[in-house]
Amino acid sequence: MGPNRPMSPPRASAAPSALPGSGYRACAIMAVPCAGMEAALAGPGELVCERGRNRKAVLCQRCGSRVLLPGAATFARRELFLPSMKKKTALVAGSDPDGDVLQEHWFVDDMFSFENIGFTKNVGNIKFLICADCEVGPIGWHCLDDKRSFYVALNRVSHE
Amino acid sequence: MEPGTGLQQRRGAGGGLGSAGGSPALSGAQSRRRKQPPRPADFKLQVIIIGSRGVGKTSLMERFTDDTFCEACKSTVGVDFKIKTVELRGKKIRLQIWDTAGQERFNSITSAYYRSAKGIILVYDITKKETFDDLPKWMKMIDKYASEDAELLLVGNKLDCEVDREITRQQGEKFAQQITGMRFCEASAKDNFNVDEIFLKLVDDILKKMPLDVIRNELSNSILSLQPEPEIPPELPPPRPHVRCC
Repeated sequence: MGPNRPMSPPRASAAPSALPGSGYRACAIMAVPCAGMEAALAGPGELVCERGRNRKAVLCQRCGSRVLLPGAATFARRELFLPSMKKKTALVAGSDPDGDVLQEHWFVDDMFSFENIGFTKNVGNIKFLICADCEVGPIGWHCLDDKRSFYVALNRVSHE
Repeated sequence: MEPGTGLQQRRGAGGGLGSAGGSPALSGAQSRRRKQPPRPADFKLQVIIIGSRGVGKTSLMERFTDDTFCEACKSTVGVDFKIKTVELRGKKIRLQIWDTAGQERFNSITSAYYRSAKGIILVYDITKKETFDDLPKWMKMIDKYASEDAELLLVGNKLDCEVDREITRQQGEKFAQQITGMRFCEASAKDNFNVDEIFLKLVDDILKKMPLDVIRNELSNSILSLQPEPEIPPELPPPRPHVRCC
């Protein structure tokens, strides 16, 4: 990844993919941003540095396993559906027990950028990312059609 | 090649076998201006964990149970492989670990898994004799499909169940001794310290043996396109002197 890698989201070539009967899908992403959208893309300032990288280490919410070191990933907005990680009884009122459409992610282009991460078997052409140590998940998403894109949902991890 | 020499050569070439997708070298000014990117891994290695059903292979990879988190993802979909990082003698090593749980039929773990493994962890259960008796069959698979250079580690699991032990430590040691280069240890899935030791022991052996320029960038994202070969039940090789026997 070069030092001047643009902040733009991944290219918009990914078509929405619907797996029959499963409800898992990846929606098409935003087009390349214009200047006015930069602020919206910047992400939570506390977590994202000015270069768009993660200020803090990314950890598993449950066991603290280290997923990413600071600076190892860039912030990306992409609408991705991730099946639910928590049991129904633990979900807050109003949330969908099947899963969530999540917008904010940490992006890496090489799976060996992770410190520790697990991959599920294929669900269609998707692999979900899980904690390498306690296997909770999904905490992230990867489409086999794009071998250089791996996403970890901010909502599914802790930061330290 | 002395490991030390190899290390210098590798760095001198500006390399980074850990830097597929990693950051390029920074000038001093650039480093001062922004945070140093994380140090890429020094090595990447592929490891597989094999053994009969119920020996606790998966539990070697550490499990938690928790009332709030469900493991639906893992149970319904299944775990394919993991990336884990260990530090050894100041080196940072990324392991890609394939746990073959659920494929305990000897011929259902495709040869592709064996072929690219630099390390093979063969697990039996010290409280179940049949899992120990199965070991020769696993060794046949290893002999047939694994690289000659793969490091082997035999693990007697479930050390925490000493009262139910059926296989003595000596039996495990003796089996490993018969195979050149195979190391042995006993472990408890409940004891994380042992688990780390297992991987560190294996990685240590791998690193000692391996010429450093061979490790460079062997593993890439293309590992995800690894297509298992068609299910052809492998022929067991005819009885012959064990290749690895001393």
